[in-house]
Amino acid sequence: MKNAKSVLAFAMAAAMAVTATGCGASGSSSAAGSTGTAEAASTEASTTASSSALNVMLETPVQSLDPQVATDGTSFEVIADFTDGLMQMDADGAAVPACAESYEVSEDGKTYTFHIRDDATWSNGDPVTANDFVFGWQRAVDPATASEYSYMLSDIGQVVNAADIIAGTKDVSELGVTAVDDKTLQVQLNVPVSYFLSLMYFPTFYPVNQEFYESCADTFGTSPETVLSNGAFTLTSYEPAATAFTLEKNESYYDADKVQLSGLNYQVIQDSQQALMSYQTGALDITLVNGEQVDQVKDDPSFDSRGAGYLWYISPNMGSVPELANENLRLAMTFALDRESICSDVLKDGSTATFTAVPPQFATGPDGSDFSADQTKYSDVCAYDPDKALSYYEAAKQELGVDTFEFDMVVDSDDAPQKVAQVVKEQLETTLPGMTINLVIEPKKQRVEDMQNGNFELGLTRWGPDYADPMTYLSMWTTGNSNNYGLWSNADYDAIIESCSTGDLCTDPEGRWSAMYDAEKIVLDEAVIFPLYTQCNAEMINPNVTGIEFHPVALNRVYKNAVKAG
Amino acid sequence: MAQAAAARVKIDTLHDVAAVNAAFPDHTFTEKDFQLKANADDIQIDTNFASQSFWKDVRIRFFRKKSAVFGLIMIVVITLMAILGPSMNEYTYSGQELSQKNLAPRIPVIEDLGIFDGSETIATTTGTRTTNQYEEKGLDDVYYWFGSDNFGRDIWTRTWEGARVSLIIAVAAAVIDMVIGMSYGLISGYFGGKVDMLMQRFLEIANGIPRLVICTLLLLVLQPGILTIVFALMLTEWVGMSRIARAEMLKLKAQEFVLASRTLGAGSFFIIFREVLPNIIGPIITQVMFSIPTAIFTEAFLSFVGLGIPVPQCSLGSLINELYNSFTTHPYQIIPPIAVMVLLMLSFNLVADGLREALDPKMKSM
Amino acid sequence: MKKYILKRILTSLFTLLAILLVLFILMKLMPGSPFNDEKLTDDMRAALYAKYGLDQPVIVQFFKYVGGMLRGDLGVSYNISKNTPISQLIQTRLPISIQIGGMAVLLGAVVGLVLGIIAALKRDTIWDTLATIISVIGVSVPSYVFALGLSYAFGFRLQWFPMLFTVNDITGSSVLPSISLSMFTMASIARFTRSEMLEVLDSDYMLLAESKGISGPALIFRHALRNALIPIITVLAPLIVDLMTGSLVVEKIFAIPGVGSLLVNAIQSNDYNVVISLSFIYSAMYIGIMLVVDILYGVIDPRIRLSKEGN
Repeated sequence: MKNAKSVLAFAMAAAMAVTATGCGASGSSSAAGSTGTAEAASTEASTTASSSALNVMLETPVQSLDPQVATDGTSFEVIADFTDGLMQMDADGAAVPACAESYEVSEDGKTYTFHIRDDATWSNGDPVTANDFVFGWQRAVDPATASEYSYMLSDIGQVVNAADIIAGTKDVSELGVTAVDDKTLQVQLNVPVSYFLSLMYFPTFYPVNQEFYESCADTFGTSPETVLSNGAFTLTSYEPAATAFTLEKNESYYDADKVQLSGLNYQVIQDSQQALMSYQTGALDITLVNGEQVDQVKDDPSFDSRGAGYLWYISPNMGSVPELANENLRLAMTFALDRESICSDVLKDGSTATFTAVPPQFATGPDGSDFSADQTKYSDVCAYDPDKALSYYEAAKQELGVDTFEFDMVVDSDDAPQKVAQVVKEQLETTLPGMTINLVIEPKKQRVEDMQNGNFELGLTRWGPDYADPMTYLSMWTTGNSNNYGLWSNADYDAIIESCSTGDLCTDPEGRWSAMYDAEKIVLDEAVIFPLYTQCNAEMINPNVTGIEFHPVALNRVYKNAVKAG
Repeated sequence: MAQAAAARVKIDTLHDVAAVNAAFPDHTFTEKDFQLKANADDIQIDTNFASQSFWKDVRIRFFRKKSAVFGLIMIVVITLMAILGPSMNEYTYSGQELSQKNLAPRIPVIEDLGIFDGSETIATTTGTRTTNQYEEKGLDDVYYWFGSDNFGRDIWTRTWEGARVSLIIAVAAAVIDMVIGMSYGLISGYFGGKVDMLMQRFLEIANGIPRLVICTLLLLVLQPGILTIVFALMLTEWVGMSRIARAEMLKLKAQEFVLASRTLGAGSFFIIFREVLPNIIGPIITQVMFSIPTAIFTEAFLSFVGLGIPVPQCSLGSLINELYNSFTTHPYQIIPPIAVMVLLMLSFNLVADGLREALDPKMKSM
Repeated sequence: MKKYILKRILTSLFTLLAILLVLFILMKLMPGSPFNDEKLTDDMRAALYAKYGLDQPVIVQFFKYVGGMLRGDLGVSYNISKNTPISQLIQTRLPISIQIGGMAVLLGAVVGLVLGIIAALKRDTIWDTLATIISVIGVSVPSYVFALGLSYAFGFRLQWFPMLFTVNDITGSSVLPSISLSMFTMASIARFTRSEMLEVLDSDYMLLAESKGISGPALIFRHALRNALIPIITVLAPLIVDLMTGSLVVEKIFAIPGVGSLLVNAIQSNDYNVVISLSFIYSAMYIGIMLVVDILYGVIDPRIRLSKEGN
């Protein structure tokens, strides 16, 4: 995170600043947008229409090109290449109008009215209409689609009736979204949602052309012929789970003048050493680098790392492991973890040590500052301090009446988690004599199932933000939440979260903000989780390429403004 | 081949030099070639026909072959190193020293020759760079004989630690092959007909399902560890051997010596294991040799589903898997486990060749 | 003979059906679920199960699947390529795996046979030792290490072949993966050929052939090799299936859109339909090849045919 490129101007500010103009946020982050906007802007002036296409490396194949079905970052990135939502992200991550020309928010904050641009068209020539959005959103909550991200409309978006439709008790036509006319879309919310506009660039909220969708039957999104584009690029070659596919510039895009690339060539490479060699031969313009290869690239100016948004943490099972229900033991463990060393010596990909329950650099508050910029604010309960760890450890031994502890830790079978887990094991065992950690390596699906069923003692897990608000993390630890793996329960905490998400504080941004700090403090005071690090992606980017926008939320890479020189 | 054939030609066509010369156009034989050597003293000790046990014969024939003896010595050395190697320096297989990670090999005394002095050349994207991390970090008295890995663990210690696990797996695989696979194949091939049909269909069902599917299911009932690995191998590794054994049995069972034995009233069990088995020992041993590396790598593959040797423990297979990630950055790291693996396999093969010849009853006449 | 072949084909079909049923039961037992993302709630999971009919009893799912299969419908993928018909996935990917695997088999078998014959004929000489060392390296170095090494040398440094698979140059970009894949086959064929050839060369009928004045290539190929072929085919047959159904690591390294990595991803993601369909194709190929091998035994060695007919 050297350049702190991904400091985000949070869309909430836009919602705060709701005035007649739609785009209030772009000013709040002028200092932070180092590469993104500045370079993109400078090249807009240059008249050389670059004809070259950008060669992009992907780590995993696309899982789905259906915006309401896709759930992974790779699919989102590609879908966003050829589809525009109502809003799109600007270089700083703020929501800016895209398909929507302008919008209004009602006094009570519960009704949003979007006006769709007249020149927005699908690649088959149809205009983009409000009905396309209604159809897309209805698909997202339709139990027949069984969209895994339907909760973006219900729990998070709070769209009227979304929860009931998902549960099957109401018909999709009752969803609180209506096409007033072809170009006007009206959305009804249960409660004011401060970050609602920032949801609009999330692919689950993208439009789908109903007529086209129905003409594709079951094959929607499986080939260039079965997708429609209304974005900067169009798909030219693709097959499901392809290892290579291409897009080219969409000439009928309303913003086509600003698109400099002639196209995008995606190449899936799952072996990072091959990827780096391909980059070196010039076959790739942008590629991910593994921590082990950093020695090869660290002196190269085109090497950089960017926030990927994921917070990795250890979740102790307090519900069914009596020893871990002991707060002193948990505190001893969190003090025994040397997070800086994990990041700088083992991961080496630029990941940053994290001492807060909400990772830094994705959520910006009413005053424009990063929610977790200050990583030392909980240093009395979460830091690396072997002496403190030992004194808590002694206290825990006294209280529990035992001298040795043995815990199993479930870990994904992927490369990075295995590495981290081995260091965590070593650190806990060396700092806390008498403690033994056994690593249980499992495929991710299995690990998640074990943790959801409470069938674990310690779990190394991660969480990526769904939207640019601390609540995407904090809501996890409420009583009964399915991601509250540790089965922790605290009435005060639940009350704060309730009040911040659907209660009084919804309309009081500053009060909500400080209440969320209170909630985070409870989590760390009681060591409900042991935060470890915020994941970063180490990347190599061809020095001739500028203007790629990187974000830790929703759309990791956006190429609309990218330029590849000569 | 020429010698072997000639050895037998000698007996039949002793009297006819011309006929022998016709059979072997690339050599010219003279009458002298067929005369008895003046070695009356030697031939009095007739090892071939002296009344001694089969196993003594085998032993003598085995030790006569130099390459087999070399292989045997290497196996003993590797086994000893697997036991003693990890305790030959102060490092442990799991002990991490993150400040000393990715150090190149450095060996006392030899370092003065300019090799193994801890310097390495890294091919970076901006050109090659030669560094000596020991000097840069001021680690004067630190020696990693095979270098250190990404966690600052000693590769020497881990290689021998891994060799130990892999040797256990190798032995287990060989036993499984011999006991389950071979018996299954021999019995199936010998009885033929309905028995064969049923046994082969069962084998097809067992082998027609990808092994990763079967192994994933083992997660339900077993904890990761050596025993689990052996059990997983037991479920999947016997098939290849049983097919070889069956094919050999099909080839041999119609031959006269089997018929003769049956006529003499020998039971099926006797014919299978005492008559046929010694005659097919060659391909059987070759198959055992091949099941060993397969087993060693299957073990590493099992870690995909969480059944491999649990980290930070290691085997040669898992070490190669792990160090593969540094292949282009620090190539020296992957060499020790691969070298041990190749040496081990070479030794196994040489021993196997020796054993094959020593055990083959047809060789007795030589 | 005809009757025997017919009977063999019929039993093979029953075996396949049995495998399919076993696969279904195994899938039900498999730990985890295809829908196990951190973000998924229990209700959502139930909805997804209902959508794909996974809430029905195994036996119902089995008959539905068999019914679908007879119509050429193998179901859809649940998560690795969401909602994509599996027949579509297989149609595009299997030919690539078969092609690269086929090249690897051919290369491995030819080089292996040659090495094995040389080693047997020049027994206990330097050639024998060399052939042994080559084949030992072939089995003891994993294919992904070969793959990366080849890619580094011939793809990156010398740039003779593409480092990654590309549809624009399928033959060229199949060279490096085929070589890496063929190493194990080459090594095992070489060793088996050597050991079988030695066996045959020592046998009485070779002596007879030699004494009849047959020599040179005719002796080796018509008489020696032919008799050594049965066990070699036995070893080669399952290797063919393994190679043609793709290899996880080599596909990953060369970015080959084959079926090997698909199967492993599917197992790890519990994508039941994909696992079942690919496993089934694997089984079908395996059983098909076994069938061919059994019939070949008869062609190569008339004694087996006789004994089979006797039964």
